[in-house]
Amino acid sequence: MLTRRHFLSGTGAGLFLSGYPVHGFTKEAVSGRIVVLLLEGGMDGLLAVPPIGDDNLLKQRKALVASKALKINPLFALHPNFKTFSKMLANEEASIIHATSFPYTGRSHFEGQNVLQGGLLNPFSSKTGWLGRAMGIAKITGKAMSLQAPLIIKGATDYDNFYPEHLRNARLPSAEVLKLIQDTHEGSIARAIDKLRRSSKSMRGRRGSARDPLSLASEAGRSLREVDGPKVAVITIPQFDDHAEIGSDTGHHPELFTLIDNAFDNLRNNLQEQWANTIVLTMTEFGRTVKENGSAGTDHGYGSVGLLAGGLIKRSSVIANWPGLSTGELYEKRDLYATIDYRSVCAACIEAAFGLDHDVIAEEVFQDKNIPRAYTHIFG
Amino acid sequence: MYDNRHQWARKIGFGFGPEADLPSNLEVWNHTQLHNKFSVIGVSNRGAGPIPWPSEYNYSLEDRLKKADIYTHEIKRIEKSKTIKKEDKKRLIKNVRDETDVSKLDIYRFWNSAIYGEDMFQQRLTHFWTNHFTVGGSGRRNFVLGDFIYRVIHGNLNSSFDQLLYEVTTHIGMLDYLDNADSVGEKSKAFYAAKTRGKTVGLNDNLGRELLELHTVSLARGYTEKDIRGAAKVLAGWGVNADNVIRKYQKERKTKPGWPVSLTDFIAEPYIRDRAEPGYKTVLGQKFSSGAHALRNLTDMLASDDHTARYLSKKLALHFVGEGATDEEIQIIYGAWRKSKGDLNKVHKATLEVIKNTRSKKFLWPTTWMFQAIRISGADVMPGFNMKFTKKSELSNEPREILKELGNSFWTQRQPDGYSEIKENWISTEHLDRRIKMASKIFTAKPKRSGEEIAEILDFSDRSKRSIKMASDKRSKFIIALCSADFMEV
Repeated sequence: MLTRRHFLSGTGAGLFLSGYPVHGFTKEAVSGRIVVLLLEGGMDGLLAVPPIGDDNLLKQRKALVASKALKINPLFALHPNFKTFSKMLANEEASIIHATSFPYTGRSHFEGQNVLQGGLLNPFSSKTGWLGRAMGIAKITGKAMSLQAPLIIKGATDYDNFYPEHLRNARLPSAEVLKLIQDTHEGSIARAIDKLRRSSKSMRGRRGSARDPLSLASEAGRSLREVDGPKVAVITIPQFDDHAEIGSDTGHHPELFTLIDNAFDNLRNNLQEQWANTIVLTMTEFGRTVKENGSAGTDHGYGSVGLLAGGLIKRSSVIANWPGLSTGELYEKRDLYATIDYRSVCAACIEAAFGLDHDVIAEEVFQDKNIPRAYTHIFG
Repeated sequence: MYDNRHQWARKIGFGFGPEADLPSNLEVWNHTQLHNKFSVIGVSNRGAGPIPWPSEYNYSLEDRLKKADIYTHEIKRIEKSKTIKKEDKKRLIKNVRDETDVSKLDIYRFWNSAIYGEDMFQQRLTHFWTNHFTVGGSGRRNFVLGDFIYRVIHGNLNSSFDQLLYEVTTHIGMLDYLDNADSVGEKSKAFYAAKTRGKTVGLNDNLGRELLELHTVSLARGYTEKDIRGAAKVLAGWGVNADNVIRKYQKERKTKPGWPVSLTDFIAEPYIRDRAEPGYKTVLGQKFSSGAHALRNLTDMLASDDHTARYLSKKLALHFVGEGATDEEIQIIYGAWRKSKGDLNKVHKATLEVIKNTRSKKFLWPTTWMFQAIRISGADVMPGFNMKFTKKSELSNEPREILKELGNSFWTQRQPDGYSEIKENWISTEHLDRRIKMASKIFTAKPKRSGEEIAEILDFSDRSKRSIKMASDKRSKFIIALCSADFMEV
């Protein structure tokens, strides 16, 4: 049970204030860190953070509600597998945003993931990501903890990726040879080889080490701890697309909740004193249907939940403009409505960590000056 | 491109090795690439020449499902056994794993075919369609993936798209991967029977959704959730998870005296009538009646949709021509698709014609790049199918592991949209780190062509040749050649 809480409810009008009309940086230097946990496949937000105070929950969902959810306030509870996160909530270093999404209702993974990472409303309309654009403006570096460089981080003037290889008897040739390879290429390949050439073995992280999301979270924490290290990390946690046998107390989705929970824990432990300057946020391309389907799973939906943790949060909150769960209150009579634009949440995280002004973020990062400012609700 | 036979073979296949007889007439060679049936070949041991692939390694779907059944249930039995000594359990479980590991041989076949096979265009097409109809591997699905790739995809290259689509959609691997095996019609007998027992069952729309979005008409068609649900209703009743097919069949036969089908028939048409949704369903304005045949009507309708032709013509162009494919080039493939009503042989022929005349280059997938590097250099990397359970690969890693390291394996869990055709998605420091290290490993396997020779036969640019020349040793020259812009893109 939490001792303090800050729960917003009521109508949507006036939930978010508009940003101050000050352009450019609001702080002198960037000291904050952002870690994004990309929950690939569409997390079931109602299973993660069940609205136990909504009488329609159990009418709509017969099975997919945890029996021993941790009560946060009269309306919301937390799946019991979020043990660390619940402690973070109690310690005033975590918040939950519910009934939220990027403004995308198409229910396609691939369009949804593209919108989520690109940050623009039209799928596949951007070759850069919202986080990369923000990094570009703030002139900071970042690291994707994956084999590929995800769209979300592209657009930054300087980014890298890290994914330990498991090839035996493999070694890179000398820097001179890498330069000769680089000379045959142009553009992004030449830049990537240049990075490979210039980075020392220690900078490239430990080879042969584990590459599960938890190990990568630990590695990200260590990297972000360094004074001259990257300020941003992106970690992908796949396989949320549970159409069947999703699980309620135990099962695949609850196992993934444990994974997210442990990722938060590993990040905090490895960031050490830099945890105080960090915000970690989850993102998923869409929520899932309110009703379970026939195979004890849920299908593609709309609204979901965002979990935030880190020392940049000063007061824990569950922020929601709850749309309700009766069939008439659902989006197309099947999905949780998203009443909070998650771009506002991302914008607030950028503002808190990089010190960029909200209007700059809205116009230059998300290319939509009408995005409401959520900073004061999350970090105020 | 077409002036250089080596480059042409790279553009549509994997290139020619040092010992290959180069075709004297490319038109004739192209014809054989499209139409001929080639036997599968492979090496038995490292250093041995390629021979016909052993027939005992051609597993039928039934063999595979029996192995999946043994794997899942025998390992569980050993683990739970109270009579088997603890120290024996590990050994017995390893034996079961080794004896049932069909995917290891499937992956060997995948490598051998790419390195030694003559049917290089057909293989590249097989890779393309396998990726288009992604069945994410791992676990029980790896038992049936080889059947999906070689019998269904490769076996239908000269067929029609509607036939390929139907066989893909009804394959146990696809029905398992996209959860249709768990889908039950909400007015079906099985639904009401489950309700009586207090159990919840119902429709699962995953396969219905991807059948429309990814496999056929694409989002451009502008369908609705009702269409997706309609497709899911048509699909309800199809499928059993790969490790449960044998048991499900046996159970159905016992409990339903009238169950008329043989195991072979059930595997070919894994349709459980009790789970099917009765009554009419509507998809994209067309009505479908009840019964197993409705699915064929649905896949036929989707196969013949104009959006399917447009979507797949563009995807073929992206894969072979590259991102620079022009509207005119795509239009040629699309025209052939429409005129032939999706005759894949004609569509592939049109694709080949477009490739012949294009100036665009394609940034190769990591596996395509690696197979070309091994084949063209003549490096001896394969451990041989008779060495399948030893770790004596010249590459130090098992072929399965290498595909995974390159981030481009069909035998791993992944999203149903498959591997990207976009160059930028394959560029990162880690991706390039893997390619450069693989080039170094291939050099260890005693290539017969040097870096300079590769640059010469493939008409590398002066820029790449200069870099190769400036390197001081053979290994470096070889790595530069394989990792140059000229080799990564063709």
